[in-house]
Amino acid sequence: MRAVWRAARAAVRRRRLQTLVIALVTLTSTGAIVVALGLVDAASAPFDKAFGEQRGPHVVAAFDRSVASDAQLARAARDPGVEAVEGPFPRATVALPRDTAQYGVFGEVTIVGRAEPGGEVDRLDLWAGRWATAPGEVVLNRQSDWTADDLGKRIPVPSGPTLTIVGFAFDLSRTADAWVAPSQIDALHPAATQLLLRFSDASSDTLLRERMGAVTARLPQGALAGSESYLTLKHRIGAAARAYAPYLSAFGILGIVVSVLIVANVVSGAVISGFRHIGILKALGFTPGQVLAVYLVMVTAPAVLGCAAGVFAGNLLAAPFLRFTFTGPDAGVFHDSVGIPPWVNVLALLGMPAVCVLAALAPSLRARRLSAARAISAGTAPRTGRAPGVQRRLAGSRLPRSVSLGVGLPFARPGRSALTVAAVVLGVTTVTFASGLATTMTRFGNAGRDAYQVTVYASTVRHGKLVEPEHSDPELHSLLSSLPGAAGVTARGDVEVTVAGSARKAMLEGRRGDGPELDSVLTEGRWTRRAGEVVAGTAWLRQSGLRVGDEVRLQKGGRSREVTVVGAFMETNGELLATDWATFTALAPEEKPIAYHVKLRDGTDPAAYARAAAAADPGVGPAITGPNTITQTVVGSASALTAMLAVVASLGVFNTVVLNTRDRRRDLGMLKSIGMTPRQVTVMMTTSMAALGALGSVLGVPLGIWGYRQVVPRMVDAVDITLPPYMTDVWHPAALTALALTGIAIAVLGAYLPARRAARLTIAQVLHNE
Amino acid sequence: MSGPRRAPSVLCMVTEDSSGKTVVRLDGVRREYGETTALDGVTLEIRAGEAVAVMGPSGCGKSTLLNMIAGLDRPTAGTVLVHGEDVGRLSEKGLALYRRRRIGMIFQFFNLVDDLSALDNVALAAQLTGTPARPARRRAMELFEELGIADRANAHPAVLSGGERQRVAVARALMNRPALLLADEPTGALDSRAGEQVMDLLLDLNQIGQTLVLVTHDEHLARRCAGRLVTLADGRVTGQHTLEPSA
Repeated sequence: MRAVWRAARAAVRRRRLQTLVIALVTLTSTGAIVVALGLVDAASAPFDKAFGEQRGPHVVAAFDRSVASDAQLARAARDPGVEAVEGPFPRATVALPRDTAQYGVFGEVTIVGRAEPGGEVDRLDLWAGRWATAPGEVVLNRQSDWTADDLGKRIPVPSGPTLTIVGFAFDLSRTADAWVAPSQIDALHPAATQLLLRFSDASSDTLLRERMGAVTARLPQGALAGSESYLTLKHRIGAAARAYAPYLSAFGILGIVVSVLIVANVVSGAVISGFRHIGILKALGFTPGQVLAVYLVMVTAPAVLGCAAGVFAGNLLAAPFLRFTFTGPDAGVFHDSVGIPPWVNVLALLGMPAVCVLAALAPSLRARRLSAARAISAGTAPRTGRAPGVQRRLAGSRLPRSVSLGVGLPFARPGRSALTVAAVVLGVTTVTFASGLATTMTRFGNAGRDAYQVTVYASTVRHGKLVEPEHSDPELHSLLSSLPGAAGVTARGDVEVTVAGSARKAMLEGRRGDGPELDSVLTEGRWTRRAGEVVAGTAWLRQSGLRVGDEVRLQKGGRSREVTVVGAFMETNGELLATDWATFTALAPEEKPIAYHVKLRDGTDPAAYARAAAAADPGVGPAITGPNTITQTVVGSASALTAMLAVVASLGVFNTVVLNTRDRRRDLGMLKSIGMTPRQVTVMMTTSMAALGALGSVLGVPLGIWGYRQVVPRMVDAVDITLPPYMTDVWHPAALTALALTGIAIAVLGAYLPARRAARLTIAQVLHNE
Repeated sequence: MSGPRRAPSVLCMVTEDSSGKTVVRLDGVRREYGETTALDGVTLEIRAGEAVAVMGPSGCGKSTLLNMIAGLDRPTAGTVLVHGEDVGRLSEKGLALYRRRRIGMIFQFFNLVDDLSALDNVALAAQLTGTPARPARRRAMELFEELGIADRANAHPAVLSGGERQRVAVARALMNRPALLLADEPTGALDSRAGEQVMDLLLDLNQIGQTLVLVTHDEHLARRCAGRLVTLADGRVTGQHTLEPSA
């Protein structure tokens, strides 16, 4: 065993560059795999993970307290299909004044009397303060990325007690907006009782309906006031994460395949290039088993070190990467549930060395079977010429001989060339796919971005107090229009309306002013021209089963209005409709604009305008239009992953050239001895890789486009939007040419340094060694 | 295959005149590899048309001397002048052009490109200088005919015998009409019959005016092909003798 170890150590020392390349490739590949698997894991079921951790209720049911008693509800919940239950909890609905908006709650809010945040179902994440245990205390439902500065603040309930905020808890299932102690809830006049139910089988809405039917069958008629399934919740809050999932999964799988292929290429190449050494070991008396062991140790030692460092690097890189990827208005709920799961680290630590051993095993076994004499002569005995027809045609071509020799080199090692092409193909596919996606996402993010540069909100919070504008709506509109730099102002108001004949609600936006289209991108039809017309968000249209041209009746309070859907605009919010101000005020005459969107003249500084607006009326809150976080996320992660995979692919190509150079030392020495200049050597070696790069591009570009066409429609489907053609029409001749050059660039970059090294080989030494 | 005992017409290609002018002059050439001194103040002259054999025990510096003349290596000290050009001062590109134009090199292990046919191996030397493929192949074929291996032109090195491979190597060395033909143990990897054929070939070349420097362990080869014998030991020239041609 000592002999094996010594021989392996000596081999590693003698092949420092190769050892370094193996360690670097395994490090980069393992790092990429850890990040990729982490992404796949996080993207595959972000809601399920967070929901599972909180043991969220499959159904949140509200019962009429006057019809069903707590005892009856407790008995009903003993149905065999019920796996676990929490409650009954008394539930009150109270209307909070508008100035409580500063605490994140206002208008009609649901308050539940609950003794503790834990339990069998719906384990709340009490991330700040403590639980409400006495009258006068309240815990608010708030995500942990908000501030906890409001602890100790007081919320006056109209015609009720004043509640002091003692804690913040996050509940993914949104069973309540706030919780109080059971001893407090009666003062809030609860009208309903809440049961939080988990069922043994909750895989579909049908099953959930059946299970709920079994529970309510034991209760008096009319006891159930309403219920919400976790599947509805999942659909609603997971939209943004679902949009990432196909893209991140595609990237992750691509990363894994690229990494495994390149590691296999590097490792098997290292063993093949050591055949002569194997022969010498055999001649010295090493048994075939010992030879095998020497080679496995020689290759796996740097590989294992690379893997260990790669896992460490991957975890370091993944933490901010995942945080970045899952940051955004809709993804914030997943903050605490995403990270690199332990199985990824275990798999990377065991899997990558296993890949290396397997890749080394096949050529090692071949070497093990070779006789010592044949193994020794593997590097020096003339090989049978490969692809003689191709070589002859190239020799007779008009190309400079250094170029035609370079083009012919890959044919001499078809197996290794195939692996190199595969590495380049995957690299080019990745770059193509990512650049297409980034273009679409950038266009998506920039859509309508020049519509306005500043949003002036019609209220602001100062020193914890809500401040209203000093000017009336018409005055404010004309004031903002008159400020220097303003090119146009559009007022926007929101009101929740219902659709007649349906339980669906909609958020109706009324727009008034110079550019009522704002940043909405029409995908079908036209914008409103007269009263009685609406333009619907694509998600709302899809979820309602309606089409452009349909008529619907919108209701608000006692008012209703028949409207025609005249267009559709790109929108992920499934509740959004837009209309003109007349239609809006016909349904909600009391409503005022909540914001004014200001388009500035070219060259106007948005910050200066915002300062001027705040100075003109201290009751307004100007905000400069920021970047689109989803676009930033996807473009950022695409760029980072593309860069990582391009590095891995380049290292693979680099390794191939290093091995080719080593194999070709004798030929290079001979060619230099007959007058080949260093430049010609560099051209020859670089051309050989550029040829593989060109082939990789020819195959990789269509594959990347195919991948894009598979993934992007699924992404937009996931968020219920339709993209206008200009956003998906990203492949133009210039872009395709640039992409085709990418493969050549990867190959040439990977080849250049080893080629220069080859050009500087000392001929006398090389030929003397032979 | 029997070797051609004649003065081949197409081989009369030497571009320099053979009027006895000094072609190679080594002056105090020293070459060190770390602690080891391979050549230690070698001074030597070779005139046009001469055939010089360099002999000596293993490690005496024979191949290093040949590499210095061929521009495959540079002296640590001293000068190597070939046709008045200081080889040691040439750039890498300059050395490559020098090897192309002035030198033909024959190695013990042939050093042919395995993936090219014999004909393309030989044509390659001309193609590197920019000669188009067709005239390069035509000239290579002429050389093959003169060397008696025309029927093996399309074979790859792996299927050629040792003697055939060395003939291909000789053809390649002659392709650019070099002023100086350098041979490093040209028969060292050949059986005796093939060795005799290569010896005849080198002798014929010298007889038609080709300047030849030959490094060998084989005294028989030296006596057959060379007119002068230079002996080396420990990197120094220890003797120079004129040789009588042997039968």
